[in-house]
Amino acid sequence: MMPLALRNLARRPLRSVLAVGGIAVASAMLLDMVMLSGGIERSFERMLLGRGYQIRLSPKGTLPFDTEASLSGVSRLLERLKRDPDIAAVAPVLGGSIYAHVGDSLVTLFGYGIDPTAQPLYEVEAGRDLGAADTSGILLSRASARAISALPGDTIRVLGRLDPQIGAAAVKRPLVVRGLVRWLYDYQDQRSVGVTLSVMQRLAGPAGADRASLVIVKVRNDSVAPTVAGRLRAELPRIEVNSVAQLVAHFRERLVYFRQLSYILGTVSLIVTVLLVATLLTITVSERLGEIATLRAIGVSRARIVHQMLAEGLALTGIGAVLGVALGLAAARYLDAILRSFPGLPAALSFFVAEPRAIWTAVAVLALTGIVAGAYPAWIASRAPIAVTLRAEAT
Amino acid sequence: MSLLRAHGVRKDYRLEGEPIHALRGVSLSIDRGEYLAIAGPSGCGKSTLLHILGGIDTPSAGAVELDGVDLSKLTDRELTRLRLTRVGFVFQRFHLLPVLTAGENVELPMAEAGLAAPARRARARQLLEYVGLAHREQHRATQLSGGEMQRVAIARALANQPPLVLADEPTGELDVVTGRQILDLFQKLHTDGTTLVVVTHDDRLAAEAGRVAHMLDGRIVNGVDPSR
Repeated sequence: MMPLALRNLARRPLRSVLAVGGIAVASAMLLDMVMLSGGIERSFERMLLGRGYQIRLSPKGTLPFDTEASLSGVSRLLERLKRDPDIAAVAPVLGGSIYAHVGDSLVTLFGYGIDPTAQPLYEVEAGRDLGAADTSGILLSRASARAISALPGDTIRVLGRLDPQIGAAAVKRPLVVRGLVRWLYDYQDQRSVGVTLSVMQRLAGPAGADRASLVIVKVRNDSVAPTVAGRLRAELPRIEVNSVAQLVAHFRERLVYFRQLSYILGTVSLIVTVLLVATLLTITVSERLGEIATLRAIGVSRARIVHQMLAEGLALTGIGAVLGVALGLAAARYLDAILRSFPGLPAALSFFVAEPRAIWTAVAVLALTGIVAGAYPAWIASRAPIAVTLRAEAT
Repeated sequence: MSLLRAHGVRKDYRLEGEPIHALRGVSLSIDRGEYLAIAGPSGCGKSTLLHILGGIDTPSAGAVELDGVDLSKLTDRELTRLRLTRVGFVFQRFHLLPVLTAGENVELPMAEAGLAAPARRARARQLLEYVGLAHREQHRATQLSGGEMQRVAIARALANQPPLVLADEPTGELDVVTGRQILDLFQKLHTDGTTLVVVTHDDRLAAEAGRVAHMLDGRIVNGVDPSR
């Protein structure tokens, strides 16, 4: 049946090619929308779980790095967490602005105060990591290295607690660049640096004493992470405790318009596909009514006629879908690069995630669309009055 | 013994609001192996009668029996099956599928009847040999001449070995020489025992038949004894 469908489509090559082109564009759009609707969440979850840390503790009522609020009494909190038998590692992070001299001017940097022995925030790309109690070293992102023209081994002067009125810093500190790192949650070209938590607390002055913006926790067993998060929430009522699943849920709420947009555009692309296929097949049926009436006259069943038309709809959408997948993946890559360069968004976050499930979902929906679109023309074809049509053909 | 019987067949329909009486009580009986021509001017109802005899149209009144089966009692599915296995149709405009080869066109009814591919390929080759077109088996319908297309259509009509072949103006689209070849082929079919009913307004073709039913204004006016 399918070979005959393909041969029938080849009878009007230009028309079929144009229709397949239209379906391919609509399919590409559908695939991109399917990827967009769930991709960003999966990418976000993958990013958060990338280093195996499943729980985030932040100041009550905030999400990590949502505000400048910080947790106080962090050393006591860390001790308590480390004593917990379910917890494998605890990573405190204090974030804030620090500055570096470049000639006569100051460059603003985002500083991460971290514990180098337990850190889920970066990967070393050049040079080496900070030591556990390294109070004279600093890690740079490539963007900050470029901004302050520094390489591993160089010494830079870092300033903290800058007075915005006079530009004078309360804390100054020379630090040796140990390495260049890629910060996992940074936006593109973010000028970030990393120092040990104690150095960062000192650079922040009294406001940073024994404080952290965030504590990231690694639970020994993934499956108990939600339980441990629940227990910590009960035990630490003044701290916001979120598992990755909860953070993903918050993220989903914030980006609900992305999903709505993808649903709307995906639906539009499906409607376009249905209209294209249905129009083409309806025209085809009108042109071939005589042929269809002949087939019915010589004993071909209605079911066979219906199947044949559905096969033609399926063949059209099938070819269009295959081309559409390739086109959609290419378009997704291009769009993703644009969206990932938006300021304030982690560069590691993908909006379009090409997962086999997304591709198969799009292909399955398109196949179904092809069948639905072929249903009306198939019905017309199967109901063609044989004698009347043959009489009309003969005149 | 009659293969096909029609009793008081009427066909009325409306065309742009006007009542049309295409058939006004036609009765006829056709024996096995008979070659009957239904002749008459255009619009006299011969094609309508042929369609009703072959079960592709239904009469407004009266009945048609093929091999003792009352066609009016059959469901659409049963009628379709009957047309597939018991009746072969040949049309004025051949109506071959242009995307298929001659062989595939002949195979089509056999495939629909569920015959296995090797068996239907062999029979299609046999039938194309019978109509003198074995060398054209692999040619697309669009690559054939009018006469060749009609011979392929005749081979297709014979595919499931139906006892009855109905032909509607089979030489209407052909020149005299090619039309002669088709008439010769019908004679061959008749000689080989196929029951043939041919609708024509061509006296030359009608003269080839064993019996001629002349129609005028929806009635048979001579030549057929309805009691037979």
